[in-house]
Amino acid sequence: MNARTILLASAALALAGIGLAPVLVILARSILFEGPAGLSYYQRMWESHRVWTLLGHSAAVSGLTTLLTLAAGLPLGILLGRSDLPLRRVLTALFTIPLLVPPYILAVLWFHILGRQGLAAAWYFGLPGCVLVLWSVFLPVVVLLVMILLKTVNPRLEEAARLTTGWPGVLRGVSIPLIFPGVLLAALLVFLLSFGEFGVPMYLRYGVFPVEAFTQFSAFLDFGAAAAATLPLVMVTFGALALERVFLRDRTYILRPIAAVGGPAEIALGKARWWVFGLAGMLCLVSVVLPFAALLGSVSPASIREALARAGDSLLRSLWYAAAGATLLAVLGFLLGYLIHNRALRFWRSVDSIAVFLFALPSTVIGIGLVAMWNHPATGFVYGTPLILLFGYLAQYAALTSRITVSALAQIPRALEEAAEVAGASWLRRMGSIVTPLAWRGIAGGWMVAYIFCLRDTGISMMVYPPGHDTLPVRIFTLMANGSSELIAALCLLMCAASLVPLLVGGALLLWTRPA
Amino acid sequence: MIRFDSVSKEYAGRAAVSGFSMSIAPGERVVLVGPSGCGKTTVLRLLAGLTVPTAGRIFIGDRKVSGPGTLIVPPEERNLGFVFQDLALWPHMSVRGNLEFGLKARGTCREERERRIREMLSLVELEHRAGARPGELSGGEQQRVALARALIQRPATLLMDEPLSNLDPELSLRLRADILRLQRDLGFTLLYVTHNREEALALDGKCVSLVWPLFQKKGAIPG
Repeated sequence: MNARTILLASAALALAGIGLAPVLVILARSILFEGPAGLSYYQRMWESHRVWTLLGHSAAVSGLTTLLTLAAGLPLGILLGRSDLPLRRVLTALFTIPLLVPPYILAVLWFHILGRQGLAAAWYFGLPGCVLVLWSVFLPVVVLLVMILLKTVNPRLEEAARLTTGWPGVLRGVSIPLIFPGVLLAALLVFLLSFGEFGVPMYLRYGVFPVEAFTQFSAFLDFGAAAAATLPLVMVTFGALALERVFLRDRTYILRPIAAVGGPAEIALGKARWWVFGLAGMLCLVSVVLPFAALLGSVSPASIREALARAGDSLLRSLWYAAAGATLLAVLGFLLGYLIHNRALRFWRSVDSIAVFLFALPSTVIGIGLVAMWNHPATGFVYGTPLILLFGYLAQYAALTSRITVSALAQIPRALEEAAEVAGASWLRRMGSIVTPLAWRGIAGGWMVAYIFCLRDTGISMMVYPPGHDTLPVRIFTLMANGSSELIAALCLLMCAASLVPLLVGGALLLWTRPA
Repeated sequence: MIRFDSVSKEYAGRAAVSGFSMSIAPGERVVLVGPSGCGKTTVLRLLAGLTVPTAGRIFIGDRKVSGPGTLIVPPEERNLGFVFQDLALWPHMSVRGNLEFGLKARGTCREERERRIREMLSLVELEHRAGARPGELSGGEQQRVALARALIQRPATLLMDEPLSNLDPELSLRLRADILRLQRDLGFTLLYVTHNREEALALDGKCVSLVWPLFQKKGAIPG
């Protein structure tokens, strides 16, 4: 076996061992090792009315969130990605901000706006509030994916249609049908992410399945019931991804743009340009600017000092753990991405599927699985240290860096690596001298995405953090129970700054070093 | 009459076409010939309205359709057909769907659509492939679908961008004969782009070289 096979197989094994094994352990333990009680948890759960209520709530939250993000995200993605709308880049950046902070922070911000009393507050705590918050959090997922998908459409296909009809006809007849499988994939992703979200429903006191699993685990310390409550989450995730594999995989058109004169044409909005800008600006104002402006309005220098005093250590830990997690994810993602892109091992497709499955799986399931697997005296070096947090990050977010690596590698002609191979360079040398230098921008971009996701992570961190190692999102969540609203606002501001400042610096660096 | 009047086009500060002038009479066959990168495709795209000139004017008939930095008449109102170099057949539609799209967009009634699709499929001898998707067709069949899609609108002018460049010589010869036959029968103006001098000569039209835009001479190609 050569170094290439050993390294790539090790990466695949690491993913299976760190990510998939805990999920299998939790399911196996709930059925096999708890004696008859194990099955009785399932029996009890399925016989109660509560399970159907929770499933109904989960389906309502994720279904409505998906429909609304799709309804707003598709036109917005087209406008921001292809039209001559003024300030497109600024609007895109603004719409992306809610995705960069823990979702429950948005819930807190809206609470600051709507207040504790009155009809709006009553309406907010429940399904409408959950949908509103998750809609603004996951809207950028659809918007950004639509923008990326539109870039993959061969501009000639649209131009061929432009000769017979205007842009509305081209979009209806050609562009949207071509990207539709990808749009459905984005919808599926939003459905699964909102189905697995527990911070927002928990804050807004709306019972959904992930909250049930978390409560059984951390409040009642009932491992069997928590494990049983994860099963529907695993089944829904698995079922949704299986549907994607069966129905969408073969319907995705290969639409690489060709190298020819001119890129994709810009859609001229004409006289409607400023009206459309007004509408998009209004949407941005309501869903992004308003909550964050309210946050700034609630913060004073004194509350920031207090926040730093009470959670400064958590902030520093968050930054370290996120940086360490992102670095490990960049390495693991590079190896997995290389494996998948080059189909280097026979089971490359399974590796990709496992990574995507783990990403889509609710964090409560991975968290409970990690505890089930590592909570033993012999494995205290993992369970009792920040290593358990890093394992959680690797399990949940490997798909992000592996998929970004695949995209980066797709831009490099294979002949470049083959030329080095013919010249006698070993695989490691080829990686170090050819592939990594050419793909570094993609790897750096992957690192930044992974950093943000590790930093904003609440679900896994909340379930597995060792004593004395809580992260900022966890500290905010625990302080919310009895902290003043000014303190919570200051903590949320620190969280936003911790997410946005490194992203702005990294983004500026990537732009600065962009080839001409 | 089509007229390019001192047309220039720059991409990111680099001239793709510079001071290009040319007139084409109705029903004429014009071959734009020149090496890759000399701006042949840009000329077609300028005429189709898919890009706007940096300087100069373009006329179709008496109507000014493009001016410096301005698209006066949008592509769908120029009555042109375009066969792209990579054909640009819509992969999510059948052959019939590809042919029908433009007719539907222009509000052609159902009976007329059916009649024209039948007529065009018969003209390019693809009646038996109406339900196939582009990915299921051979290279020659795809080429004929692209031609049929451009012609079904009954355009006054057909623009062809290296339409035979990816085909084997035998098929290329046969399709070239088909194109000439269709032009004779339907009477449209043909503006044909190629980098192949033999192909340009075989088309037997007015040859315009874009190597040196000032050198434009009927029936001769600079060596």
